[in-house]
Amino acid sequence: MKWEPYGSRGKLHVIKSIVEGREEFDEDIVQKIFMCALCEHCTEVCTTSINLDRFWEAARRYALEEGLLPPPAAYARESVLSFGDPFSMGPSNRMIWSEGLEEIIQDRINKPAEVAYFLGCHVGLNAQVHDIARSMVRILDYAGVDFTLLGDLETCCGAPLVWAGDPDSAPPVNGKNIEAMRKLGVRKIIFSCPSCITAWQSTYYQIHGKPVRDEFELLTPSQFIARLNDKGLLDYEEQPMVTVTFHDPCISARRLKTTKEPRDVIERIPGVYKVETVPSEQETRCCGSHALLNRIDPLLASQIAEMRLRDVSVTPATMVITECPRCIRAFDLARMTLGYNVELKDITQIVAGSLKPKDSGGQ
Amino acid sequence: MEINIQHLEDIVGADNVTDDSETCKAYSRDVSSLPKLAGQILDDQFDAVAQPVTVESLQKLVTYSGRRKIPLTIRGNGTSGWGGSIPTRGGICVSLTHMSRVLNLDDFGLTVTVEAGITWRELLIFLNRLGSTLPVYPSSATAATVGGFVASGGFGIGSARYGDISSQIVGVEAVLLNGKLVRVGNMVLTEPDQDAARAKSGTKWFMNWLERRGGTEEPDPMSYLIGTYGVFGIITKVTMKIIPRLQLLPFAVSFETIDDLVRASIQIISEAEPYHLRFLADNYTSKLRALTGLIFEDGKFILSGALLDTIFQNEESIETIKGITETNGGVVLDIERAQYHWDERLFPLRIKRLGPSLVPAEVLVPTAEIPSLLHDVRRKLGSSRFAVEGTMDKSGLSSFLVWILDDERKTVSYTIGWHRSFDIAALAKKHGGSPYAIALWNSMHAKEFYGEQLYEEFRALKKEIDPQNLTNTMKVFGGRVAAAWPSLILGFLGGFIGLSLALWIGPEILGASWLRDALLAQPVPFMPLPLIIFIALLGGLLGFSVIKFMSLKQAMTLVLPLLKTLGRVIGK
Ligand SMILES: Cc1cc2nc3c(=O)[nH]c(=O)nc-3n(C[C@H](O)[C@H](O)[C@H](O)COP(=O)(O)OP(=O)(O)OC[C@H]3O[C@@H](n4cnc5c(N)ncnc54)[C@H](O)[C@@H]3O)c2cc1C
Repeated sequence: MKWEPYGSRGKLHVIKSIVEGREEFDEDIVQKIFMCALCEHCTEVCTTSINLDRFWEAARRYALEEGLLPPPAAYARESVLSFGDPFSMGPSNRMIWSEGLEEIIQDRINKPAEVAYFLGCHVGLNAQVHDIARSMVRILDYAGVDFTLLGDLETCCGAPLVWAGDPDSAPPVNGKNIEAMRKLGVRKIIFSCPSCITAWQSTYYQIHGKPVRDEFELLTPSQFIARLNDKGLLDYEEQPMVTVTFHDPCISARRLKTTKEPRDVIERIPGVYKVETVPSEQETRCCGSHALLNRIDPLLASQIAEMRLRDVSVTPATMVITECPRCIRAFDLARMTLGYNVELKDITQIVAGSLKPKDSGGQ
Repeated sequence: MEINIQHLEDIVGADNVTDDSETCKAYSRDVSSLPKLAGQILDDQFDAVAQPVTVESLQKLVTYSGRRKIPLTIRGNGTSGWGGSIPTRGGICVSLTHMSRVLNLDDFGLTVTVEAGITWRELLIFLNRLGSTLPVYPSSATAATVGGFVASGGFGIGSARYGDISSQIVGVEAVLLNGKLVRVGNMVLTEPDQDAARAKSGTKWFMNWLERRGGTEEPDPMSYLIGTYGVFGIITKVTMKIIPRLQLLPFAVSFETIDDLVRASIQIISEAEPYHLRFLADNYTSKLRALTGLIFEDGKFILSGALLDTIFQNEESIETIKGITETNGGVVLDIERAQYHWDERLFPLRIKRLGPSLVPAEVLVPTAEIPSLLHDVRRKLGSSRFAVEGTMDKSGLSSFLVWILDDERKTVSYTIGWHRSFDIAALAKKHGGSPYAIALWNSMHAKEFYGEQLYEEFRALKKEIDPQNLTNTMKVFGGRVAAAWPSLILGFLGGFIGLSLALWIGPEILGASWLRDALLAQPVPFMPLPLIIFIALLGGLLGFSVIKFMSLKQAMTLVLPLLKTLGRVIGK
């Protein structure tokens, strides 16, 4: 990674040589193309405004066409196409997260409603981050929101297919989710994972030829929670003093531009004191786990996560809050390898954990 | 010259060297897209890239390559476009990007000491966390290294208030090209300082040398290392000033004419002391997609910048700027637009997509001369598409950057169009200016740029520490080109054909038929070749040698007028 051909400018030079017929599109360039988290940083800082991440996606597509897909990417692709998720777990595992919450969700699966919660494969299928879904559901229930879940009908949003060079297969896969939501009369969808939102935006456009906002409003948890706060639907309990920092997930900050809402949400919780990690917001650093990088080169992904945690380590924060299950999983590993004892929470977890119990005066 | 990779691995560590051709190719470029013709005078591909991580290994590398006569080229991140970091003789690229630690922060003395390979962005992130910032940094901060900007000298963000980068440097450590480690100025370092002993003896050597040349005061020893493009050594550490991160308040104002803008900018610099001041000419603002349709911005002359002071002072200065703008017939843009222009300070290449290539021409001129220079540039570039911007410095100078839009895919026309960049440097001279940077492509202006006396001192030091001109060859001092085979063959053919024709037609014109007969005689028995062929072969050899031993200056003097003439033909 330390050599320039792994950086965007170096890769562009190599690709230019390939286009000019001076070099071959081989495993070597494919390796470089996939050793990237598509974190949008190079697009953000490109002095010539080239949307480089879309360019890398196109290069991944070419790798697939040439039969040069790295095995972990090929596995993720096949897994989504056969099982509907990138972990080969299949729909039967989609409800394990809800154990103990039957009371809240029993009537909500596939129930017509205006608001839906789309968990995404990470939250829905990885025990390590199931609590994000449980927290989101608790918040919705607490605020009395009439919401629906797709349950085991939920399938992959298609993002891993784009990362594995197969964007054409993404619309039919996510099309099932879109249809299911449509049938339930949903208008607003909350996503635990920011990449699901961008995948929904592009697949919807590919299928229907119009922006998704014409039919659905796609929201991050903090965008939705901020609205609940504005309506006074969430009552918080004073927390034992804690200093936190918010890590902006790349996609939330650089593509969805949702950097204000999570900060507003955190600031509403009494006892929680927020400090900023530098760099943050649009200039945030990646957790290393996006775009299959954690599978293609786990060591590199972990080093990137460590670098981000080092940014945090010079702040007084003892807890990192973020809004993406992938970031949580990456930091969980990195704090172990770094020996850095920082707490990790998704924004839904800190909100759900700070709500005043209903029987003690909460709504 | 043969490069033994194993030796290099022993010196800088096995992970820190490569001779992979793709990697070498990537490092062989800087930010500009050179016409392929440049390959005719440069050996333009590295044979290996080394990324040393310690000063000691860097010293060893310099000594080793000196002994083996291996050319070295020093590279930060290759964000400059004046050829300073591209190879001219192949050899080894010494990339500094892995020496990138922050070594010391002195809150009281307000300095920071860093290794030269850190990028300005990373340094700013580090300082911002601690409530400080930098007085001056380049608008290429995202990728440019500290060493690269210090070695280039120049203006950046903050120059309106703090001048050029050289005035912010407190101390520099460098490995001179004879392998000695020197520290000039005041290096602020934290103990333990592993390089101290070597630095002491190296510095002593340097000071003695300066003493012998006539004293260590004049010229300032730092002037050998700042703004000299790495021709004397590799900068390894820099101590520079920092400032508190006070309130930063962006502003932007718009004018109908460049004269109004320049008048206002001179007053703003002296009365409001802004931190940064950048101008965009009408031909720049009309090309920025984000400004399309904005009545006070699209196609207007914009002056933007920021104030860096306390809230109280900033508010007062904003009023001053408003007053100055209005008296000069301008319009003050609202804070959102001002913020937009401030955020754009790191994106001067946005217009590239219209090219898709950009041929840059950057010069330094007295700010007051900007209107007349702009007028002349317009006349010179005629129908070419171009855009002008620049940064103002507190001393009354401005960088004046012309981006000529072109298309490198059209190889012939693109190559021909390059002469325009050099024409603009010549125009600047007429207006009391100079090229902005010397590096490789402007080395023919070096003597004038540095002043004759300093230039002579430079030559003396170069001769002392790099007599064979092995490192950053051709940069600043010019020198012999590395002619490629096609040019050599062309030289040979030129000499051969030219002399043949002269010998063929000459006697005819002079009416010397005896000479003609003599030239047609066959001097060598059994070889049916006339004398004229043998003489022409000598002409060919002469042509070959001329090209082989031509200096960069001579090559440019030969090629530029040719390109210019062709340019007239194709309207460029
Ligand atoms: C978008 C953009 C904006 C820019 N803005 C500015 C600006 O505001 N002001 C400005 O002056 N320039 C600017 N530049 C030009 C360029 O970025 C700067 O000169 C920059 O500082 C070069 O840094 P670098 O690390 O890329 O050095 P390189 O381009 O790699 O090298 C530049 C020169 O310095 C030498 N060098 C590099 N490192 C060392 C070292 N450690 N020791 C000795 N010599 C060394 C090289 O041999 C070469 O001669 C800009 C360029 C771009 C593309």
